[in-house]
Amino acid sequence: MREGKKLFRESMLYPVFFMLIITIFFISILATLHLTTQDRIKEYKRIKLRTTILEIFALPLDDLDRYYEEHIREKKSGDIIYYVAFADTVVLGYCFPVMGNGLWGTISALLAVTPDFSTIVGFDILAQNETPGLGGRITESWFKNQFSGKKIIEDSTVLEFNLVAEGEITNNIQVNQITGATQSSKAVVKIITSEMKRIVGQFGKNYD
Amino acid sequence: MTKKEIFLSSAFTENSVWKQILGICSALAVTNLMSNSMVMGLGVIFTLALSGFTISLLREYIPKRIRMMVQTLIIASYVIVVDLFLRAFYPDMSEALGPYVGLIITNCIIMGRAEAFAGKNRPVDSLIDGIGAGFGYTLVLLLISTVRELFGFGSLLGREILGDWWTRWSIMVMAPSAFFMLAILIWIIEGPLQRKKLNKG
Repeated sequence: MREGKKLFRESMLYPVFFMLIITIFFISILATLHLTTQDRIKEYKRIKLRTTILEIFALPLDDLDRYYEEHIREKKSGDIIYYVAFADTVVLGYCFPVMGNGLWGTISALLAVTPDFSTIVGFDILAQNETPGLGGRITESWFKNQFSGKKIIEDSTVLEFNLVAEGEITNNIQVNQITGATQSSKAVVKIITSEMKRIVGQFGKNYD
Repeated sequence: MTKKEIFLSSAFTENSVWKQILGICSALAVTNLMSNSMVMGLGVIFTLALSGFTISLLREYIPKRIRMMVQTLIIASYVIVVDLFLRAFYPDMSEALGPYVGLIITNCIIMGRAEAFAGKNRPVDSLIDGIGAGFGYTLVLLLISTVRELFGFGSLLGREILGDWWTRWSIMVMAPSAFFMLAILIWIIEGPLQRKKLNKG
């Protein structure tokens, strides 16, 4: 019996067998963990999306789901879901999911504009993979909030923002970039312009 | 070696970062904010300790020729555990660390300890060795990030320390400063030891 065992451990099959067993073992542990945490992660994503949309339109957050259902309508155009914000029956603006390439990975964000599409109401980032502490600072509020209130369409052309150094005073078409994260700052500005062009192209003048 | 000696050796005298110059890439990448360093350090301690323990437990059975494959599998599994845990319970931290959690897998300290220690020693010793090595790594991260965050952002652990009068040193936020800080740190720690050795020789 001992001899047989020893032989098997020296055979060519043993490494294959060992790898197979250990892989199955660890994968089942990870699969279980994934299944037990996925609801939590999904719920967190849902809350994050709703909070972000309400925040962009400066709506109250204390009773998230109630305010969300009261003020926000989800609409579909093609396969794109976008959000319309109401205060009673007045349209506050439109909020579109936008995405594009950052330095390391995809940046996905929300861009909200006024009902006539001319001005940015707010911009917020949902997911990004930029360098923590450098490009990752695109999620800091001073950076995101500087887009609010800026004109995005003038004379029916989409404007492009210019970047100036962090801390400098900006005019209408300038935004402060993040020191040490020029590429990530550029990426955000590029996403806003190119996605805005796409949105205008898609919705034209009849965006109700 | 007693358990205490194992810990002290892997954390200080044989510190992976300043003695073996391992794990440098992540040590440089996450050290501009203390909070990022802290979570990265905890993730590495967890992975090091448990992967060391598991590899040591299986050391008699792991076929020599495929041991690296097995080590990678075990390390990767624990890293995914860390990643899922952060996503589910500390989503803000998970977002701040972005891709770096996944990169714990490629931290050479972990495979280094698996090869150098866990493959040859008993499970509990390997666990302690992992905690020690992780502690030493975290210590370096925290030392560097304290300086970088203080000078670069004027804050510590996200709390404002230096007021508005402080001109932030942008270089401290950027990657090059991490190289300078690490070199200075090694110089401070290893300099006297090297000089002692020279005098004796």
